[in-house]
Amino acid sequence: MTSAAAGRVWRPVVTGLPGWLVYVRSMGLFIVVWEIAALQIGNPVILPAPHTVATSLLTLLTNGSIYHNALASLQRLVVAYAIAGMLGFPLGLLMGLSRVSFELIDPVVELLRPISSIAWIPIALALLGVGFALPVFILVYVSIFPLILNTIAGVRSTDRTLLRAARTMGVPRSRIVRHVVVPNALPAVLTGVRLSAGLGWMALIASELVGAPSGLGWAIQFYSGLFRSAEMVAMIVVVAVLGFATDLALRALQRWVTPWAT
Amino acid sequence: MGDAVGHLSLGRVLRILALPAALVAVWQAWGSTLATTSRVPLPSGVAAAAWEMITSGDLQLAIGVSLTRVLLGFGLGAGAGALLGLAMGYLRPVERNVDPVVQTFRMVAAIALVPLAIIWFGPHGQAAVFIVAYGSFFPVVVNAVTAVRSVDPTLIRAAKTMGLRTVEIVRQVVMPAGLPTLFVGLRLGMGNAWGAIIAAELTVGATAQITVSSGISSTATAASGGIGFLMFYLYDNRVDLSQIVVAMAAVGMAASTIDRILRFAQYDLIPWTRYAR
Repeated sequence: MTSAAAGRVWRPVVTGLPGWLVYVRSMGLFIVVWEIAALQIGNPVILPAPHTVATSLLTLLTNGSIYHNALASLQRLVVAYAIAGMLGFPLGLLMGLSRVSFELIDPVVELLRPISSIAWIPIALALLGVGFALPVFILVYVSIFPLILNTIAGVRSTDRTLLRAARTMGVPRSRIVRHVVVPNALPAVLTGVRLSAGLGWMALIASELVGAPSGLGWAIQFYSGLFRSAEMVAMIVVVAVLGFATDLALRALQRWVTPWAT
Repeated sequence: MGDAVGHLSLGRVLRILALPAALVAVWQAWGSTLATTSRVPLPSGVAAAAWEMITSGDLQLAIGVSLTRVLLGFGLGAGAGALLGLAMGYLRPVERNVDPVVQTFRMVAAIALVPLAIIWFGPHGQAAVFIVAYGSFFPVVVNAVTAVRSVDPTLIRAAKTMGLRTVEIVRQVVMPAGLPTLFVGLRLGMGNAWGAIIAAELTVGATAQITVSSGISSTATAASGGIGFLMFYLYDNRVDLSQIVVAMAAVGMAASTIDRILRFAQYDLIPWTRYAR
């Protein structure tokens, strides 16, 4: 995010091994240390060795367990994002365009925003029960605030000269919004989406740990309940990989939708 | 964001209060049309519950327990993160070799580690402290690296020319110039920490309920497990959900208070941050 500001690299670039090799070397060393530690502890419940985790990962991949749970989680993610987008984007647009609506709605946003999504889990459990609705609700809640705030910021950053030019040329207000304000706000909106995806992924796992009958968070909790740590760690690895993949996909989306901003 | 506009006129205060007040009124009106067996909490019930929880001291106890854990975990995580980030930002070989591991583990959501932490540390406070430390570590590391990077290289060269040792350069040049960016990381880390503590305590509550099958009999004992634990207990043992809403409001207030304190601390400790953003 601040990498552009920090662009002044003042050290000479180290030539040598290519990046991926350094990555493999560092992670390889880490895994060796982990393997030795697991051997020393000698209790697969407390610390499963990397090779047993790898075996479990393979088993879970082939028996479809990862596929089913990841699909359940991703489905919730997509549904929640659709809802959050349909609510948050128009709301942000409205609040960015009209001063009065901003002054009316902003207090509610600022009142709710500090309450972390995770704090909603118990009441959602009581009112919605364990199931599809709970993780989706938590996800919508967590992703809507970055979306609203970034949309407002994007709308407000619209160049006044462009607005005046459009108005002078007699473009109606609705078309100004569509052709000037929205394209201008889009990069900020997508940044909001990426921000909320990171938070959303965490909230999803948290809500599935206690309040879902399936999904990756549920799988982690399930295997920990059985004291099968190797499977649990394998699921944690899947969560990390999918989180990373989601971010990559959103970056690609950003480049595709708003090529002028990247 | 909200404090950008200056003075508070009566009209502005009215506009600020209008929608929240309207929503509360609608909530109360809608709720009173529901059947008496409904578990939906109402504003009137929430107010009563708040009074009860504050006078009995349960709310303060729970928040206090959680805050202590957050401070401990944040101290450990942010401290380690700042040190490692400084080293990574300043020493190229360290960054090159450690960064892959840091970037990999950054992808692992702290909350996903809660069950593992419970196995390691037992269903007590330490598991929550570990999760908080883990959650606050990464934003601090990343921002500490950026902080060092953002230091004007001319300043460092000048310091080197004048014969300062590396330790001195870090203390006299890098730290003051990088502190504002580091502080951004600290604030992000603290935000993570407060979210993580609730998740950790909730999951501990959910796990404890399975293993101990509610050996906890009173709100006061539940409160000593922290605010997240208390919330799970309230969900699990009470018909009336008003107390959960009170706990949620307390969570939100604590979060914004913490952030406000950090923001003031930033202005107070590093006044030049206002220019360096």
